Amino acid sequence: MSKRGARGTDGSLLDSLPWTLTALGVAVLVHLPHLPIWISAASIACAVFRLAIEKRRRPLPSVWFRGALALGCFLGVLTTYDTISGVGPGTALLVVMAALKLLETRKRRDQFVLLFIAVFLTMSALLREQYLWSLPYMLLSLVVTLSAWLRMSAAPTQTPRQSVFAATRLMGYALPLAVAMWIFFPRISSPFWSVPIDTSSGVTGLSDTMSPGDVSSLSQSDAVAFRVRFDGAAPAPRERYWRAIVLHRFNGRSWSGSEPALDTRYRDRIRYRGEPVDYEVTLEATRNQWIMALDVAESWSLDNVNMGRTQSLWRQQPVDQRIVYRVRSFPDYTIDETLAGFSRTWYLNLPEGRNPRTLRLAESMRRDAGSDRAFITAVLGKFNREEYFYTLEPPALGRNPVDGFLFSTRQGFCEHYASAFAVLMRAAGIPARIVLGYQGGELNPLGNYLLVRQADAHAWTEVWLEGEGWTRIDPTAAVAPERIEAGRSGAMFAGAGAAWGLTAPSRWRYQLGMTWDALNARWNELVLGYGPEGQQRLMQHLGLNNPGWRTLLLTLLAVVVGLTLAVHGLLMLRFRPPAADQAKQIFERFTRKTGFEPARGESPLAYAARLTEARGRHNQVGDIVSLYLDVRYGGAGEDGLADLRSRVNAFRA
Amino acid sequence: MQNPLSTGTTGSARDALDIARNALNEIILGKEAQVSLALSCLLARGHLLIEDLPGLGKTTLAQALAQVLGLSFNRIQFTSDLLPADILGVSVFRQQTGTFEFQQGPVFAELVLADEVNRATPKAQSALLEAMEEQQVSVDGTTRQLPSPFFVVATQNPADQIGTFPLPESQLDRFLMRIEIGYPDEASERELITGEDRRTLLAGLEATAGPADIVALQRDVRKLRMNEPLVDYIQALVRHTRESPDIAVGLSPRGAQALAAAARAHAYVERHSGVFPDDVQAVFEAVVAHRLKPAANASHHAPQELARHVLSAVAIP
Repeated sequence: MSKRGARGTDGSLLDSLPWTLTALGVAVLVHLPHLPIWISAASIACAVFRLAIEKRRRPLPSVWFRGALALGCFLGVLTTYDTISGVGPGTALLVVMAALKLLETRKRRDQFVLLFIAVFLTMSALLREQYLWSLPYMLLSLVVTLSAWLRMSAAPTQTPRQSVFAATRLMGYALPLAVAMWIFFPRISSPFWSVPIDTSSGVTGLSDTMSPGDVSSLSQSDAVAFRVRFDGAAPAPRERYWRAIVLHRFNGRSWSGSEPALDTRYRDRIRYRGEPVDYEVTLEATRNQWIMALDVAESWSLDNVNMGRTQSLWRQQPVDQRIVYRVRSFPDYTIDETLAGFSRTWYLNLPEGRNPRTLRLAESMRRDAGSDRAFITAVLGKFNREEYFYTLEPPALGRNPVDGFLFSTRQGFCEHYASAFAVLMRAAGIPARIVLGYQGGELNPLGNYLLVRQADAHAWTEVWLEGEGWTRIDPTAAVAPERIEAGRSGAMFAGAGAAWGLTAPSRWRYQLGMTWDALNARWNELVLGYGPEGQQRLMQHLGLNNPGWRTLLLTLLAVVVGLTLAVHGLLMLRFRPPAADQAKQIFERFTRKTGFEPARGESPLAYAARLTEARGRHNQVGDIVSLYLDVRYGGAGEDGLADLRSRVNAFRA
Repeated sequence: MQNPLSTGTTGSARDALDIARNALNEIILGKEAQVSLALSCLLARGHLLIEDLPGLGKTTLAQALAQVLGLSFNRIQFTSDLLPADILGVSVFRQQTGTFEFQQGPVFAELVLADEVNRATPKAQSALLEAMEEQQVSVDGTTRQLPSPFFVVATQNPADQIGTFPLPESQLDRFLMRIEIGYPDEASERELITGEDRRTLLAGLEATAGPADIVALQRDVRKLRMNEPLVDYIQALVRHTRESPDIAVGLSPRGAQALAAAARAHAYVERHSGVFPDDVQAVFEAVVAHRLKPAANASHHAPQELARHVLSAVAIP
């Protein structure tokens, strides 16, 4: 042990250290699910260790020990993440270094550093995701940190309660400034301005390949995929097919689809008919490039988004933050009236030697059917009539999953049906592909919007028919029509969901969930979605037409200065003098009530005597005056003050 | 703050004080304020100057005080031929032992009544005043301690002008208070006329306390705390005496200390929960009037009037 480290701690931090630890704990809480377990464990160990050192007046660990620990933790983070840049490794490093800082926290100054880190950690939660609860959480965390701050310099007579109140009051003073900053700080949409979003952690959602079990793994996820607000009435549930990505390459087991060159001319291969549907989508972060739209999109409000050759919309950058966009779709359309020869071969391609029984079945059924249309009807009829079950927990399948599904297990989720159907079609010479996306969604009556969850993820097929182009065929509808007709949540409550392995929540819980989501949606729109356009709109309301960032900054400055002065003024107005002076104020109120002003230099007892003589209210006046004397000049204290106040309040002249 | 008036080991002495006070009020009728001031003066370890015409009960008050509080009492009648040795004492040669022996003067008593103090020469006066100040006397190179408590009540007749030596200002402020007794009211005077002789009553008076009790009470008084607003008030009063155009010489810091000490003792005597502005006002004239020198062109010439004017001019903060 070095000489420095050998000096024992003196227990002087014993009062404030638990507060500092609590503040750090609350700040770390939000990062906890994202942190590797060893960091959480190490941090808790450091905190307990440090507290024990202080309690037992033991010396802090030596410089060498701390140095070795720091190096070890640094290497640990490096090994866990392979990098130290980015939000994930950054916060991990910050958390573990804060924990190690505890081991050299000797003075108040060190505790200040720790509390600064706590504030920084609280703020860095915004780099991950912003939710409705983020704001209350951060307010709470800041109040705890401020309280810890105040505890360090608190007078011995100050109770923890008073410190927390003081911290809350301080937050209250800062709140108007925060709101002003939020409203007026210039919002710039250029990408270099954007926050480095944490991309290291996974997000539930669709992936760009489809193997049996992929989509069904999403079926239990209540996570929100996107929300849609329709300009008019929402289309019927069976019309709500949200296209994300098209898969066309099959290796015998899984489907994949690399994407296509993006080009505006791909839109020209669609013939739009009938009435358009206009709507606004709020898409949660997906970390993928595709953009959800109702089949089939005609125009959209995002600049750097193009339509691929399979009618999917692609964004140039991944969606790593919540985005809002408007789309116009036409439910009535024709895609690719002609199909070039090479495309046709492409969409008929099947791997050699896989799923042989399926191929034989397709050939025989096609022969019996006579036409492509009749064949499709026959296959759907087979799914419908025979013993095929729709389930969210399908059994595992072997090397030939389509054979296994069609001939032995006969239980599957949408991806099984879509995959089997597409393979059957291709085997019979009909070009076919898989579309991955979402189907249905729940209308939230509270917010009047459509809520689409990850559980609504769906896979269906498109076949190319002469003269009709790519036609959507959803084999799942043949097996479980209620899934398509009523949507997942409808089926859940109708009882059909139970057969698939879905348990319906109680009504009120469902209502509660819907209410919560409506609040979230509103919050997203009004607060989190407050970007450059929102700011421009608001400024127009405030009478600032199209202000540049300079105007905004100057406005912000003026508002901040104004608010600071206003808050300061209010504080001065509500300044409360100490008890003795309060007693005087109360007594002055009393003398005003009596209508007799005390003469200059008239002592309270003389005043009481004069008043009693004039008004004959001996007891009340005498009691109040002597109570006043006891409080102001004697030792009656706070209780006497309260008594005096209530007596004066009750006094009627 | 603990209220020192209601608790502590001096509780019984405190009760004795109330009994003494009631007894005094039965003898000196209708002079509650003066009795209270006299007791306050004693408890504040000050000395009292009573200035009034003869026959108003100055001597009775002093005697009654000594008797009821169980203090040893000596009376010195000041005359123009009084010598310091007549006050302090003298060393006498004893033939039997062949040594000088100190014969204690009348000043060696717990309560000394210096009657008509302005009749003596300044030399005799200053002998008493020094003894008051130091609470000890030095005779023939030996310093002798006076008893504790040591309380001097001096009387002075303001009407006598011929053949008197009025105390100079510098010596007046050795007295904590100067009070007047004044004529009694009708009812009291009627009782004085019809009732028993005061001297007979005095003879029947029983002591309710002793010197040790008085010392304990004096200690208690010094523990009594003053709150900020009250100190503010005292300071405002003192400042006013210094700034007022009517007053040539305002209160000295010693005067301010005297005011605070007297107010404290008064609060104690009145059993207040703290020192109230009323206490300051009650003692103000007695403590301050003989320390103020009116300005030549002042609108109020009597110092008593000046003091009352200060009280009504200064707002209680």
